Amino acid sequence: SSLDVPFPSSREALIALRSLSPDKEPRKGGISKEITVKDNTLSRWSADEARILRVSVNSFMDHLLLVLETMEMFSLPVSQ
Amino acid sequence: MTIVIGFEGSANKIGVGIIKDGEVLSNPRRTYITPPGQGFMPSDTARHHRAVILTILKEALDEAGLKPQDIDCVAYTKGPGMGAPLVTVALVARTVAQLWDKPLLGVNHCIGHIEMGRLITKAHNPTVLYVSGGNTQVIAYSERRYRIFGETIDIAVGNCLDRFARVIKISNDPSPGYNIEQMAKKGTQYVELPYTVKGMDVSFSGILSYIEETLFSMLVEITERAMAHCGSQEVLIVGGVGCNLRLQEMMGVMCEERGAKLFSTDERFCIDNGAMIAQAGWEMFRSGQVTELEDSWITQRFRTDEVEVTWRA
Ligand SMILES: Nc1ncnc2c1ncn2[C@@H]1O[C@H](COP(=O)(O)OP(=O)(O)OP(=O)(O)O)[C@@H](O)[C@H]1O
Ligand SMILES: [Mg+2]
Repeated sequence: SSLDVPFPSSREALIALRSLSPDKEPRKGGISKEITVKDNTLSRWSADEARILRVSVNSFMDHLLLVLETMEMFSLPVSQ
Repeated sequence: MTIVIGFEGSANKIGVGIIKDGEVLSNPRRTYITPPGQGFMPSDTARHHRAVILTILKEALDEAGLKPQDIDCVAYTKGPGMGAPLVTVALVARTVAQLWDKPLLGVNHCIGHIEMGRLITKAHNPTVLYVSGGNTQVIAYSERRYRIFGETIDIAVGNCLDRFARVIKISNDPSPGYNIEQMAKKGTQYVELPYTVKGMDVSFSGILSYIEETLFSMLVEITERAMAHCGSQEVLIVGGVGCNLRLQEMMGVMCEERGAKLFSTDERFCIDNGAMIAQAGWEMFRSGQVTELEDSWITQRFRTDEVEVTWRA
């Protein structure tokens, strides 16, 4: 299954990708997830069973929200 | 001139600090306080950190009077610590480093404590006692490593105090160790185990001072042994338990007997804070280190002696 998140631009989608990618999933064994970016859309892919998927998607959403809030508050003003 | 911002949140404190060439420009911090009798769980702690980290970041910049453009490097705690809180802080550090186009630097938390202690006290080459909720180590620098001479075989001294505080439901605000210290002052100094029953009342403060005396005597003894081994004439106490005045007093007596000098700091710099990560980051960055985004994963285990100290002779 995949979860798609549109960003205003591909630059922002790529920043989110690089922020979210480095950490391994904490749970041993279970989750096999992949995050990709195409144009300005970030997608999270996973082929896991629903029970563990829910936990993993929840924490992914928490992380994604934090990254989005950080972008909103701390992006540099675009220079003219 | 080099300005480094540091993010710390490996346990229940979350802080952002800014260092400019040895000067602390700002260092705001919050603590996740749990009810008496309860410890802090990773996911709840991470939720707390997520809710406040951006506010603290803004405070740190405002208080320092800086714009993101003024920052040279973004340092964050890579480990050791609790996974979920570490990830929270790393996410924000990675994101602002990219938004501001600045290099990122992953810092060992223990090295942060040591470098902050060295900065504040100006201790030259001390034997370091690192005492906190997660660590109890006697450390000395030699040949590009902070070498561990002694450590706890089981739990950390702060963890021991915190667990005891939980059992007898002492407040966690601002920290169990601080409240034990205040209550222990009320108990008289005991050599034997204090068993205090008055009629139908009992008193526990005596046992708290007994616990402190016992734990701290052990710490003084291993520190003295390491000093003798290294021929060191300086002691630096770092980590949250290091702001305990009784521990400082007992260590001071030992140092005086040996003609050695004791260095310690107060809770602003002893307890986990952002500036300590900024300071270690400052040293690392100046010696040429950076962390690529793909290598910026956090790690729950990360020993003090794994780090090559590239910034000391
Ligand atoms: N005045 C005090 N006396 C004794 N212990 C204290 C005092 N103040 C704080 N502490 C203890 O210090 C510990 C917190 O230390 P610190 O802020 O370094 O964080 P930590 O999460 O333990 O970090 P680390 O990863 O370094 O182990 C807690 O165990 C707390 O009870
Ligand atoms: Mg600490």
